Amino acid sequence: MQIIFNGFVTGIVVTLPALAITLLFGVLKFPNFAVGSMLTLAAYIVFTFNVLFGLSLLFSTIITAIIFGFLLILIDQLTFAKLRGSSSITLMVCSLGLGFVLENIARLMYGNNAKSFAIELARPFLFMDIRMNREQIVTIIVSTIAMIFMYVLLKHMPIGRAMRAVSDNPSLSLVRGIDSPLIIKWTWFISGALLTIGGVLIGMDRAIEPPMGSSYLIVIFAAAILGGLGSPLGAFVGSLIIGIVSELSTLVIPPNYRIGIPLAVIALILIFRPQGIFGKPNIKK
Amino acid sequence: MLSFIILMSLVICFSAILALALNFQWGLGGMINFGLAGLYALGAYACAILILKLNINFFWSTILSMLLVSLVCALISIVTLRVSEEDYFAIVTLGVGEMLRLIALNEDWLTGGALGLTGIPRPLSDSIPADIYIYVFLATYVFILLICIFLLNIIARSAFGRSMRAIREDDVVAVTLGKNLLWTRARIFAVGGLLIGLAGSMHAFYYQYIDPTQFSNIVVAYAIMAVIAGGKGSHFGVVIGSILIMILLEGSRFLKEIIPGLGSDQLSAVRIIIIGVGLILVLIYKPNGFVKEYRLNA
Amino acid sequence: MINERNRRKTIKTIGAVAASPIYMPFLNLAHAQGSTIPIGVALPMTGNAGAYGPDMAEAAKRTTELINRSGGILGGRKLQLYIEDSESSASVAANLTQKFINVHKCQSLVGYWGTPEGLSSRPIAIQNKVVLMVSSAANSITEGDTQGYVWRFQMKATDWGTVIGRSLQKMGYKSVGVMGLQNAFILPIMRSVEDQMRDSGRTVTDSLIYNPEQPSYRAEVQRIFGKKPEVVCCFSLLPDFVSIMKEVYRGGFTSKVVSLSIAADSEGKFLQAVGPQVAEGIRHFQPMPDTSSSGYKRFTKLMGAPESKLFLFPPNTHDQIAVTALAMERAKSVQAVDWAKQIINVCNGPGEKVDDIVEALKLVRAGKPVNFEGAGSTCDFTNSGDQLGRGMGQWIVENGKNNFVSYEKP
Repeated sequence: MQIIFNGFVTGIVVTLPALAITLLFGVLKFPNFAVGSMLTLAAYIVFTFNVLFGLSLLFSTIITAIIFGFLLILIDQLTFAKLRGSSSITLMVCSLGLGFVLENIARLMYGNNAKSFAIELARPFLFMDIRMNREQIVTIIVSTIAMIFMYVLLKHMPIGRAMRAVSDNPSLSLVRGIDSPLIIKWTWFISGALLTIGGVLIGMDRAIEPPMGSSYLIVIFAAAILGGLGSPLGAFVGSLIIGIVSELSTLVIPPNYRIGIPLAVIALILIFRPQGIFGKPNIKK
Repeated sequence: MLSFIILMSLVICFSAILALALNFQWGLGGMINFGLAGLYALGAYACAILILKLNINFFWSTILSMLLVSLVCALISIVTLRVSEEDYFAIVTLGVGEMLRLIALNEDWLTGGALGLTGIPRPLSDSIPADIYIYVFLATYVFILLICIFLLNIIARSAFGRSMRAIREDDVVAVTLGKNLLWTRARIFAVGGLLIGLAGSMHAFYYQYIDPTQFSNIVVAYAIMAVIAGGKGSHFGVVIGSILIMILLEGSRFLKEIIPGLGSDQLSAVRIIIIGVGLILVLIYKPNGFVKEYRLNA
Repeated sequence: MINERNRRKTIKTIGAVAASPIYMPFLNLAHAQGSTIPIGVALPMTGNAGAYGPDMAEAAKRTTELINRSGGILGGRKLQLYIEDSESSASVAANLTQKFINVHKCQSLVGYWGTPEGLSSRPIAIQNKVVLMVSSAANSITEGDTQGYVWRFQMKATDWGTVIGRSLQKMGYKSVGVMGLQNAFILPIMRSVEDQMRDSGRTVTDSLIYNPEQPSYRAEVQRIFGKKPEVVCCFSLLPDFVSIMKEVYRGGFTSKVVSLSIAADSEGKFLQAVGPQVAEGIRHFQPMPDTSSSGYKRFTKLMGAPESKLFLFPPNTHDQIAVTALAMERAKSVQAVDWAKQIINVCNGPGEKVDDIVEALKLVRAGKPVNFEGAGSTCDFTNSGDQLGRGMGQWIVENGKNNFVSYEKP
């Protein structure tokens, strides 16, 4: 049982980045390989406010979410915007290069040593025979709230509907008067907020260091693909499944190979159900 | 100084072959291989293990490692390309590359784990006198590189090459015209795999010691840079791209002396930032590189 | 037609710009041939050992400045350092080694903190008959015939395990869990500790190896600590140790933790990252300089640090530069074929024991015998290039401070 709970926590930490990936893929049509470094950079910016300026973690996260949202819009304008319409490979390669740049900017500014947020670490308590602690509860609550918020946003709010329209059919949405570039900016902004929160949750879970985000890359992609690229609910469910299965797998395979689980999941999904659990089959036009 | 140039030229030779492999799979075949580092490691380790543990001579070790990497590439493409989505393919290659690196790092009964494999003998180092050996070695490596370019050019101009380009431009149309999509792609990726295995073996012979730290993901960034700087699709251009990248990498070590107050650890971060930014800039402003691709005149 | 011209122009310009830094070594060579003596320094500034390089580089710089200020060697010639980032990578280190030898004409190569860097550069150094001074622990570096060119300024990996294992037994622990990072020097230490414990009848409850840069270490912690051994040996580097210890704390596990100082202290960075509660009770070991020795105290002054500051690795680079200078002066030659033989002579003696490099150089210039005692150790070597007399320090973290427990030799 403990293992399942551990898996649940492991998975939930990844839901927000997976959601960001899925949003970006839906609107921009390519998987963003820089997402790991974006998590790292966001975590470092929160660290700056939290540890170097002494603000509370909550407050730091909020400020950073806003700053980072704009930062991502700026990065997009400088890079992906200029490549709008190129093949997705070009965009992926660009994101790979961007990933290296962001990770090393973090390294340049903060050095190589592992850091942590200025929060009190808590001892665990027992609940129904399962060990859990306060931070894990916070993580679960925050992620769930964010997911619900995103769900509401996408289904019921105009901006969400516009995003879905652009995601489904860019040319048609243009005809209907939806301002695509604006939607794209909104998507980056929201992704920035999600990545900031995700970066903070990950940073709380372990140490903050330059390669931090990149080590999650495969897991995030697996979660998003499993759930179905383009489906937020899918990102949520996919992350949890990957997390739980990974932790359970340590009962049978050596723990240092458990990165193989997300990989195997990706391979299996691609063979049997490429659109993931909640995605729509993609027909090439 | 001359010996240093010789040594760097040797490194350029197999780096260029690696870049040619990427170029073949990506520039000509339209499939991006983010797992390049792991497959490269597979080639190097396979060759080294065959020589050191099974005492197979250098020629067959190289050939067998080439075939092994080629086989793995074929498998990847067959399994993944059923869906024919470039995006997923890139993710899968990234994952496979990571797995291969993990195996190299953890299975120390086979690969020496973090300690790696030492004492890889250079081909024919017993037979050829030591003082001319390095020149013979260099000549061989350059020769191999030229053969690769030659063969790749033949493939590119053949019917197979035409299939490849057709599929790359628009795979739906190509399929309606009767080109077998999956099989062609698998073959493209496999041919690229042969080259990766070759480059890996050459790497092993050059350094004579391999360990997991040599195959980190930055290798992919360098290869991509070489390919796009040289011009996607043009083989000769890729070689020029590799030379430029090598000069840039080695040359940027001297940045420290130009920019005072930059600590060595920050310098390395700056170098990688320059590579990354350079990659993005070239993608945006010079997507076709600096050397043109061969095209049949319409 | 125009496109052709533009294309060629572009290629030429880029080539020229990219290649211009290449001219730099030619400018430097003028110096190197004549008066200055080049020494190559390869240290990890990036990569997973990137935290340790910068201080070691600083130590090398200051030592060199000290020597140069006091008259240099071989008739007033100054030492010149070429410091490069080995990127914690074997192939980069190998390339650097080639460059040091072929471009800068170095006859002494120092630094080489990581085992892969040392292993890949070793054959190159031996082949070119230049001296390679490493600061890495793995036994294989000095195994076989080094022809007197490879010198280890560190304690051998298996010795680390001996000391740690003995300490664990002395503390009376009956059951131990072991986890270690997949890394060339940690593995021999792990095995050595496990063998020790088993041989003396203790139980090893479980043992596992984990990869660097994993997203989470929860499963590993669960497995090792979940079996509730009395003590867990966690051999890590700093970043993974921070993640692991946070996990241990949050999981409420009660086993005592033993580790290495490069992870559990890292000159204060561990405490900074996790805070006193998480670090409470952790014991850590590290080969250390004899901090009570005058050589070490002199070194801390050189670095501009208080006497109480613990430098784990930088004293080694100080010693490497110092020994190079002394041996060259003794052999009256910069060629490694000449002075490599003199290393044992100036380090082991017989001769006057001196730990001040400036004093030692004066003695050697005057033709007197000398026994150099370094900052990192007494600098006495075996014929195979391993250092004798290194000891290990043990600390325990209490109330947010590292309290020294003991200093032991294998």
